[in-house]
Amino acid sequence: MGSSDERVVAVIMVGGPTKGTRFRPLSLNIPKPLFPLAGQPMVHHPISACKRIPNLAQIYLIGFYEEREFALYVSSISNELKVPVRYLREDKPHGSAGGLYNFRDLIMEDNPSHIFLLNCDVCCSFPLPEMLVAHRRYGGIGTILVIKVSPESANEFGELVADPSTNELLHYTEKPETFVSDRINCGVYVFTPDIFTAIQGVSSQRKERANLRRMSSFEALQSATRSLPTDFVRLDQDILSPLAGKKQLYTYETMDFWEQIKTPGMSLKCSALYLAQFRFTSPYLLATGDGTKTAAVIGDVFVHPSAKVHPTAKNLLTLNYAQIGPNVSISANARIGPGVRLISCIVLDDVEVKENAVVIHAIVGWKSSIGRWSRVQGEGDYNAKLGITILGEAVTVEDEVVVVNSIVLPNKTLNVSVQQEIIL
Amino acid sequence: MKALILVGGFGTRLRPLTLSVPKPLVEFANKPMILHQIEALKAIGVTEVVLAINYQPEIMLNFLKEFERKLHIKITCSRETEPLGTAGPLALAREILIDDCGVPFFVLNSDVICDYPFEEMIRFHKSHGGEASLMVTKVDEPSKYGVVVMEETTGKVEKFVEKPKLFVGNKINAGVYLLNPSVLDRIELRPTSIEKEVFPSIAAEEKLYAMVLPGFWMDIGQPKDYITGLRFYFDSLHKKCSSKLAVGSNVIGNVLVDESAVIGDGCLIGPDVAIGPGCVIEAGVRLSRCTVMRGVRVKKHACISSGIVGWHSTVGRWARLENMTILGEDVHLCDEVYSNGGIVLPHKEIKSNILKPEIVM
Repeated sequence: MGSSDERVVAVIMVGGPTKGTRFRPLSLNIPKPLFPLAGQPMVHHPISACKRIPNLAQIYLIGFYEEREFALYVSSISNELKVPVRYLREDKPHGSAGGLYNFRDLIMEDNPSHIFLLNCDVCCSFPLPEMLVAHRRYGGIGTILVIKVSPESANEFGELVADPSTNELLHYTEKPETFVSDRINCGVYVFTPDIFTAIQGVSSQRKERANLRRMSSFEALQSATRSLPTDFVRLDQDILSPLAGKKQLYTYETMDFWEQIKTPGMSLKCSALYLAQFRFTSPYLLATGDGTKTAAVIGDVFVHPSAKVHPTAKNLLTLNYAQIGPNVSISANARIGPGVRLISCIVLDDVEVKENAVVIHAIVGWKSSIGRWSRVQGEGDYNAKLGITILGEAVTVEDEVVVVNSIVLPNKTLNVSVQQEIIL
Repeated sequence: MKALILVGGFGTRLRPLTLSVPKPLVEFANKPMILHQIEALKAIGVTEVVLAINYQPEIMLNFLKEFERKLHIKITCSRETEPLGTAGPLALAREILIDDCGVPFFVLNSDVICDYPFEEMIRFHKSHGGEASLMVTKVDEPSKYGVVVMEETTGKVEKFVEKPKLFVGNKINAGVYLLNPSVLDRIELRPTSIEKEVFPSIAAEEKLYAMVLPGFWMDIGQPKDYITGLRFYFDSLHKKCSSKLAVGSNVIGNVLVDESAVIGDGCLIGPDVAIGPGCVIEAGVRLSRCTVMRGVRVKKHACISSGIVGWHSTVGRWARLENMTILGEDVHLCDEVYSNGGIVLPHKEIKSNILKPEIVM
């Protein structure tokens, strides 16, 4: 099993613009998959994880965004990682499995023996080579990455039950009202090409039922999917649930971190998780410094090479470099002034943070300006609506102004302090 | 004659509407805000209008070509690369505005809605022979604004006082000016304020005169004032040309309905309601003090008592919107939902009640 001829294709579902309003206001300026976590676009993390899969032939990104939104990224990442990455646009919603099926001819062009399916807005360690090894051992048509969560939070996800010795998927249910299990679906899968047959089966079955309904009104009353088009196939309800317990699907459990990146607050949390991961996988990406020649770095910090951290300008004898970290990510061309303190924040491209300003638990949007002695802070509750402070593109916070637990839309100037507010 | 309209920037105060459309193109009483001004200028013989803008000119240009064609007036955009304030744009458009015969030009603030008594202003300007005229309007709370202190009889302006603590007068700058081309010599191409720098220097030479604006005045740059402005506008429309307003047993007060809109049975519409093109108002709907933009469907038995419903949105059956509820473009309020002052960004579906004023992103 597993000859060197066996090629693997990876598919990453990236979603679309109107679906993710929970990522506003950041998604007003950038497609969510391209928003940076730990200095790299969100989609970069699963893509680099795919690079570790042996015999990876191709990566496809499937979504609803305009092609031009991904054109630049896709060509640059293909060059950088030396693996072909291509963006495919869905013309209409086909559901999470239907989307995969829609592009099956393209996916099967390389004659892959296995197909990985990943959701872009999942933050985890992506143990893909290990999943593939386990999948080959199990011999089913698919293996699902699962993780144990707290029982209280389990019902936000797909809950599943697996056989403890064979790891077979026994039962799967999406967002149940009552407790089923504390193991949940991570949104990362590996399939054999048989998955396409299974998806087609669901489509055909639905077509048959639709025809039957024209003959029997009783069927019409019964069917919960009567409003779904026949080519709209959902992975969870239509494939995983019915195939559970039939020795076709298996599970692989991860003990590492796992989060879903649905809101800006979560992107800040996940940026910190990836920064922590860098410490093990690629420590050269993290910043170092003790405040004598550059910023004083505390904990995990990413600083883009083009970002500038300035010492005090007036008196070169009294160095006053900023103190940065933990969990800070600074993007291209940002300028950090002397005496600045940054904790748990994402500072995007071209931001200027002036002298002695403080930024804590916040996301500072592209081209924004943070005034001297100003304070931009959030409480740090990643799940609350106003739990971190978010400044959109080109927001100016004037000197000495305090912004707490607020969201500011692009192009605004704050010249008075605000708390717990959304500024349109 | 020429005119310049200060359009400015992002229109953030009119969000969420301006997240979909640049502010000058947001409809007011079923007509893009800027078209009200351009039409009034055309009516008194202005041949060329310059729009001073610093945001999204591409979207504007298409619309402007259409207005140009229909109105037979030349419209150009003067693009500010950095925000030039309220006077700087005049310097940028100098070549168009300058006139060797000394013919004065109008300058308007794009957020201002009023009767635009331009002919009276021209007569006033000629009669005092000064260099610049501005319209002022009387307000109840002058200390919120910049007050213009002037001689009552002649209108000669003495000075401007910004947000005065003690009462110095109750007239404020209405944002409508008539300026001699020589004013351009006083303005450098840099961020400049007409109220703080240019007008005070003209007033010091006793060449600035103010005329009290007859009729209504409103700065409709934010939703609350937009709705109040509609009321004033309709009152004025009623006096001048009431045939444009709707009549019928289901109409109360002033109501404007586009001819392509459809209204069902048993509705009660008004007062102060504007219904845009292609709207469908189903049976049993109650609308008052609100604007319903192009392509909106208001389903049966719904009630909107104060608010703005953005383009192509839908309001569900038995829904109730009040207290300045603003729905952006393509917002869908489900059946029976109640919104008390909700402000909803574009492309959202609202399934649960908004019990107190809040922004839904």
